[in-house]
Amino acid sequence: MMNSLVQAILLGGYYALVACGLAFMFQVMRIINLAHGSLAILSAYLVWEITDALALSPFVSVLMILPIMAIIGLLLQRVILERATKGGELLPVLTTFGLAIVIDNLLFQQFGANTRSLSPYLGDLSWESYEIFGLWIGKLPVIVLITAIVVIGGLDLILRFTPLGRQIRATAFDPDTAGLVGIDARKIAGISAAIAMMTVAISGTALGLRGTFDAYAGGPQLLFAFEATIIGGASSLWGVFLGGIILAIAQSIGALIHPQGFLLGGHFMFLIFLFARIYFNRDVFTLKHWFAKRNKGEITA
Amino acid sequence: MLSVSNLDVRYGQFRAVQGVSMEIAKGDVVSLIGANGAGKSTLLRAIAGALPIHSGRLLFKQQEITNTSSSSRVQQGLSLVPEGRRLFSDMTVEENLLLGSTVKRSGDWNIERIFSTFPNLVKRRHAKTGNLSGGEQQATAIGRALMSNPDFLILDEVSLGLSPLVVNQVYDSMESLKDAGTTILLVEQDLERAMRFSKRTICMLEGRVVLDKLTSDTNKEEITQAYFGLHQSSKQEVS
Repeated sequence: MMNSLVQAILLGGYYALVACGLAFMFQVMRIINLAHGSLAILSAYLVWEITDALALSPFVSVLMILPIMAIIGLLLQRVILERATKGGELLPVLTTFGLAIVIDNLLFQQFGANTRSLSPYLGDLSWESYEIFGLWIGKLPVIVLITAIVVIGGLDLILRFTPLGRQIRATAFDPDTAGLVGIDARKIAGISAAIAMMTVAISGTALGLRGTFDAYAGGPQLLFAFEATIIGGASSLWGVFLGGIILAIAQSIGALIHPQGFLLGGHFMFLIFLFARIYFNRDVFTLKHWFAKRNKGEITA
Repeated sequence: MLSVSNLDVRYGQFRAVQGVSMEIAKGDVVSLIGANGAGKSTLLRAIAGALPIHSGRLLFKQQEITNTSSSSRVQQGLSLVPEGRRLFSDMTVEENLLLGSTVKRSGDWNIERIFSTFPNLVKRRHAKTGNLSGGEQQATAIGRALMSNPDFLILDEVSLGLSPLVVNQVYDSMESLKDAGTTILLVEQDLERAMRFSKRTICMLEGRVVLDKLTSDTNKEEITQAYFGLHQSSKQEVS
């Protein structure tokens, strides 16, 4: 039990890593990018190609594809999303859905149906573990979890404390007024898409390191990212981090109940949160709500 | 400095601003007067780039800006304090002010000078602007616009929703802008205050300019008649 909880939290770190790019794009640009998972798989293939061709460590290759994915993000914004958003809220969803199909099939054409993994390039690290209180904890999942914390923490710090982050928040809050203040909304959208795609590159690599992927593995990644985002609430990145962990725990509980319950457990948790978010006040999901109530109770008592 | 010629702004089929032309020279202080729905805010927002222009031309410092983005107009020195303040309410006063300096124009406005111009903001520096009083919010909105060191400042109903005392404070602090030679175009519902503050008065009615005179050459009666569109009807009475 304890073991599956710890493993679930580590898996949750991966989900948080996939979800943060999706949530970031939704928060900042109000776009649900359905090509998110496929782009993660694309970057996994890119890392795999570079690692294989140049005999590098995947950790070095991912640094090389970060700028590539950033440029892809910028192009995605300039060529596709910018035009699509002019056509209303639904159009970017349809456009990115189409883009996902295109990417999946191009990958299939290029790389075929074989599953690939980055773990062979890691040597011993792919199976090494720490033994803590009788639990075996894989080093790699720990690295992924720490990466998730660093990426989300880094994004959070950028948003909070840098001029760029302020401009991104202002544009997300009120794009018209942001323009009147002198913020170039187009530039900010491009930079945001580039940042989101860099997180996608990292999450695709994490997927390849943790297990296997093939050309059509994008769909499930998008699903996990989406579920984690909804569970955590799209308004804060740390919420999304928590959402990823809750999703993974639900999946593990599902798997304990029935061997095939892994995905069902996650879906079930997703639906619970979805309906709770529809029927309850936003406040219920904040810590403040619960603590404020307790304080009030003490005062009246 | 700003030249508006034959400007048309539409919301779908509705022509909110129709064939408006005006010239505003450097150092002018102009107040724009008109009833609700006369097209004042629409005109100001179109000048600032927040609304697309249907036809007509807009020149700022001899450069065509008819189709440029609002952020590039700020870059050129044209800044709007929007109606209803439109602050980023989940950010602090300081963050809102810093956003104003995004375009990095040179000039003598900086965050410390804003705080000395609006001393009521000093103790609110790190408060979220959503929690401020109306006067503090208005001061932040004006400060945010000033942080871009504008040559031309547009103020849309700065006294809306403020108590008379706070309105006095806001206008007192704007006197110093006037003295510094900043060109100002403002919308003000209080006619007497507008006449006292501005050198020139423009009155709009149903999307058109119906009066454009130096404040010293006109009087309250004439403006009131233009405001309500009484020119023609009074002529009819005479005939």
